[in-house]
Amino acid sequence: MTSAPDSAAHDVGADDGADVQTAEAVSAQPDRRRGWANSIWSRVGIGVVGIAVAILVAYLRAGSGVVVSQAVLTGLLTGGVYGLVAMGLTLIFGVLDIVNFAHGAFLALALYITVVMVNEFGLYPYLALLISVPVMFLLGAAVQRFILAGAIGKPLENQLLITLGLALLIDNGLLLFFGPNPQSVRIPGDTGIEVLGGVANLSRFLAFGVAIVLAALIYLLLQRTRLGTAIRAVAASDAGAQLVGIDTRRIYAATFAIGTACAGAAGVLVAPLVTIEPTTGELFNIVAFVVVVLGGMGNVVGALVGGLIIGLTEQLGALYLPGQSPLLSVFVVFVLVLFLRPQGLFGRSVS
Amino acid sequence: MRKSRFAILASATTLLLAACGGSAPPGADDGDQAGSGDTITIGSLHPLSGAAAADGQQMDNGAQLAVDAINEAGGIESLGGAQLELASSDTQGDPQIGQTEAQRLIDEGAVALVGTYQSAVSSNVAAVAERNQVPFVIDVSSADQILQQGYTNVFRVQPSSTVLGQRGADFLAAVAEGAGAEPPRVAILHEQGPFGTAIKDSFSAQAESLGMEITNVQSYDPASVSDFTTQITAVEASGADVLMVAGYYRDGVLVAQAVDTVQPDLDAVLGVANGAFDVPQFPEEVGAAGEGYFDANYHLDNTNPQTQELAALYEEEFGDPIRTAAVLSYDAVRVIADALERAGDSDPVAVRDAIAETELDSLLAADGPISFSETGENENATPILMQVIDGAVVQVYPEDKAETEPVYPAFPTG
Repeated sequence: MTSAPDSAAHDVGADDGADVQTAEAVSAQPDRRRGWANSIWSRVGIGVVGIAVAILVAYLRAGSGVVVSQAVLTGLLTGGVYGLVAMGLTLIFGVLDIVNFAHGAFLALALYITVVMVNEFGLYPYLALLISVPVMFLLGAAVQRFILAGAIGKPLENQLLITLGLALLIDNGLLLFFGPNPQSVRIPGDTGIEVLGGVANLSRFLAFGVAIVLAALIYLLLQRTRLGTAIRAVAASDAGAQLVGIDTRRIYAATFAIGTACAGAAGVLVAPLVTIEPTTGELFNIVAFVVVVLGGMGNVVGALVGGLIIGLTEQLGALYLPGQSPLLSVFVVFVLVLFLRPQGLFGRSVS
Repeated sequence: MRKSRFAILASATTLLLAACGGSAPPGADDGDQAGSGDTITIGSLHPLSGAAAADGQQMDNGAQLAVDAINEAGGIESLGGAQLELASSDTQGDPQIGQTEAQRLIDEGAVALVGTYQSAVSSNVAAVAERNQVPFVIDVSSADQILQQGYTNVFRVQPSSTVLGQRGADFLAAVAEGAGAEPPRVAILHEQGPFGTAIKDSFSAQAESLGMEITNVQSYDPASVSDFTTQITAVEASGADVLMVAGYYRDGVLVAQAVDTVQPDLDAVLGVANGAFDVPQFPEEVGAAGEGYFDANYHLDNTNPQTQELAALYEEEFGDPIRTAAVLSYDAVRVIADALERAGDSDPVAVRDAIAETELDSLLAADGPISFSETGENENATPILMQVIDGAVVQVYPEDKAETEPVYPAFPTG
């Protein structure tokens, strides 16, 4: 299908990477006209029907309405968190073609920034956003400029190994600096709230809400600003963007910085929900990659929707197949979706 | 604002640089002529990095404290006051790395090994130890199978999964009966690996034979789970009185948070060999949500003055409350030192034979001194029941180990 030339060309290098994006954009045109699986509304319809059937079957299996509504609520809320974590990753993946294994480690770094802000300086946890986002933005820019820029145009493995190395470095740096003891950040007055027959903590609703706001902001940034237009231009064609006078090196750094800043925001919002250890970020890595590919690389709205689907799948899947890893049902859905839409749910490059 | 940003960036950079320095192979600076002359090397294999690093580092510290204490008391007297030396190695929780590191330590002259925390790693290290005829004393690793291979060089200080699960059910029955309650209906939530499954099996068999009903069994993947509200809602829907949880630290915290959110109508939450509910950090992390939680687990004996001394020393030295795992490593090293003393010989085969004859008082809560069966199990190893009361983990059952009475039902709403 459309992604077949994609994977072949990825191995060759960055210049071809630009061609790939154009080829993809071109072949996406007939794709869209091809019919049922591709119109956005039929996709939404299929999605909604699929979820309704899944919930119904879960109800028949579990035999308890309370358990199913709790599963749906928990699924949506954890899904929002997955979407939140995956947003930065999808931007970096879609625009720069960098498989960023360090994303989880960046998240962990943001978690520890929150811990320090809260425990050392007594800040209200969510105010740590004001520190974490700019710090991670600068760190992302620096990493791209000084570490990853040299690997652009080199084989894909180079970037892959660099980000993997970076992840090890950050994880073990945190271990060295903060020690292995689990840390925690708590929100004062974080109690359960009943919604739709289920119950969840305020902090989860907040993380969910911010995930949606963040997705909307990035969407607007990409669609409505000069920077966003330039980012999309670079994603579509590196050489073309250079020809019309876009400083692609700056755009690379900016995109990576924005992606890392997203991890910074996610870290602060996830902090009250998890036990913070140097390896905590890794927990999100696999799921984040699945979400990115499921939603369509480079598509922030896709990341959010993909996150929600994965979250629901995990929770409902646990009701169908008790005793299995939630990743089993996640990957069943993942493979199914990719079979029907190899480019991901919202696939096409950035737009 | 700009200043603090810069400070954090600067500290982040330093930390990255520091990490470079820290990544030298562990143990690279340990003595090379180990095992000869006046120093005797004991190999310590623990996960010093990775997900279990908190326990791993505690255990390595515990082993080091034991070595220091023995050296200060004059070393191994029957070997002319020979000093012990601990060769620490990082398994990263990876069975492959554990295997190669065990071989390396043996090649460098370690006369015995202690370790390793994860059952999968211990299995591999046990095979290496057996092949090389070097004794291996397991401090933490509960899987029954490790000692069912007919190995003659492998010993275990902690109780096996079978003992843990059975006693867990016994304690629950006794505490419920003591409070004048009916035998409780129990829902089980266990991690899906060999550890949680083995505990679930032995616990439910014993619980059913004691007249308790198992209403619901759920398992989960400890590596990826991020929320338990659905599981806890299912527990409530099953009409259980008690929730039994077999898992590790991170997931234990998530369970407590989910129970606090869902507020099910339970009399108690009981951990069996749970990695969270009896750890001093647990009440700190979850706050009031952890109040009343039980854990039936092997545990350091708070009523033993020697253990209290060790706990104080540990806190002073490392600034952290000691965990049971560290005491097990401490005991494992003592077992080896005691064997060296009685053997009067640092040959691994002689040490093995002496370990098999061990009769050594334990710093853990136990039925008696450490002594090993034919298969290498510590015959007197037992769990005890602990409960979080007023934000601290205290021993509540059996009576002779109890610091205070158990509170049952544990939740005032229950």
